[in-house]
Amino acid sequence: MKFIYLDHSATEPLLKESEEEIVRVMKLSHEQKIGNPSSLHTTGSTAKELMNEARSEIATLIEARPLELIFTSGGCESNNTVTNTFRGCPIFISSIEHPSILNSAGTYGSPCVKIPVNSNGVINIDFFSENLEKTIKENPKQKILVSIMLANNESGTIEPIREVSDIIKEFNKRYKARIFLHTDATQAVGKISVSVKDLGVNYMTFTSHKLGGPVGIGALYVKPGSPFAPLIYGGAQENKRRAGTSNVVLASGFKEAAKHAKNSLSRYPEVEKIRNYLNSEIARLIPTAKLITPINKAPCLPNILNIAFPSAEGESTQLYLDLEGIEVSTGSACASGDLEPSHVLMAMYHDAEVAHGSVRFSIGLETTKNDIDILMKKLPPIVKRIQDLSTLTPKEN
Amino acid sequence: MTKEPFSWAYTDIVKDHFLNPRNFIMGDESKWKADGQGIVGNPICGDQMLVKIRVKNGKISDIGWKTYGCASAIASTSALSELAKGRTLEEADHITAKEICDFLGGLPEHKFHCSVLGHQALHKAIKDYLKKAK
Repeated sequence: MKFIYLDHSATEPLLKESEEEIVRVMKLSHEQKIGNPSSLHTTGSTAKELMNEARSEIATLIEARPLELIFTSGGCESNNTVTNTFRGCPIFISSIEHPSILNSAGTYGSPCVKIPVNSNGVINIDFFSENLEKTIKENPKQKILVSIMLANNESGTIEPIREVSDIIKEFNKRYKARIFLHTDATQAVGKISVSVKDLGVNYMTFTSHKLGGPVGIGALYVKPGSPFAPLIYGGAQENKRRAGTSNVVLASGFKEAAKHAKNSLSRYPEVEKIRNYLNSEIARLIPTAKLITPINKAPCLPNILNIAFPSAEGESTQLYLDLEGIEVSTGSACASGDLEPSHVLMAMYHDAEVAHGSVRFSIGLETTKNDIDILMKKLPPIVKRIQDLSTLTPKEN
Repeated sequence: MTKEPFSWAYTDIVKDHFLNPRNFIMGDESKWKADGQGIVGNPICGDQMLVKIRVKNGKISDIGWKTYGCASAIASTSALSELAKGRTLEEADHITAKEICDFLGGLPEHKFHCSVLGHQALHKAIKDYLKKAK
């Protein structure tokens, strides 16, 4: 049985280049050729050089300068660092953020304003603009954080961050306001071209394992002059912004993944073709399926296809596919730890049955048309099987 | 690349009942003539079970069901149907969620309360039969 991994948005398999670099740097550590990057002696300096090399390489991926990057333990920590900086301030977020923003902004924001999205998953710009203006007038001297993800992990929708940053710029000028913009670009970096300068953001989150690097390391871009409060206090690492002995091994693995991501961006139009082929095959062979990713309706990532199969609960579809060696994910409540249907799909459709029946296919650089053909031999009978067992009857679109 | 499939959070019995469900109604359930039927849950919650029974000499002679839900929901309704078949109405009416769970060799803790509902549908089916039989 061929193993077909279609869950690249959950995590990318570790790249060979990252694995080799991790092993190489670990050996250097074992051979006492590198030490603690904070130490001034020779092995410390060698380790620091490796950290600098990694930071420089990774920074170029988002068109930032090396010292504008802070290494963290991953996306969750980067996101929490930003929201924690704005404790007690008004925080605007989209209703489809990752839980690390939803839950932390919900705790720290005073108030936390959730911007609704339409059925394409795109934020309501008018709602955002009107409410932001109202908040500035009510709190003229208060710092305000706006945190909107660059691309959504479930639907693949790309949010209009440039438009958001233009509105913020205009309000900052007009009202002498202090509004700062963060974007969680975890899903977007490596899949589309991302530039912190073009987007006009103050903060950006991204992470290594979505690029094929190791899990356990991420980064936070901080534009000079933006407010900042460390989440972890201790030593002076990361320019006193994130304490803890620098992880040279993971940073080096991350570096190789960033290099690979830069060189692979031009291959994503091909990935998009495969994704679109899967979409057309599902539409052809499973006419009851409902497309969630806004293909041809709104900007979206090239690698994600989210589809709901009515009357077929997502966990069942996921497990039947797993038996065939095909791995996907679902927004069904049954597959989530908290037994709640996906908040993203609920925000887009307000329909729990759509969320329960949703399956996300996320394509990788190595996914082939043949993989899709194998999937499409298995998927229609699986969906039919689950629909046959169901109390609900699917309707054709 | 190949891999070993099937390292799920479910027991082998759950997997078996999920993949080879017993006594479920294939196709249009209205064609499955029953003496009593009950339905619980709803699609909003993600689980819904329909149970239909045929009764002969005070015993459940046949049972059919449909379930919208996850692997645990499908397996637990399948298990219920096996437990109920051949029992007297009184015995069948006393089947509990715990009995279904034990029959399946256990279920993940967080699945127990939301997906083991089939016995409630069976209680309703028995009630429906008794009402009609009056």
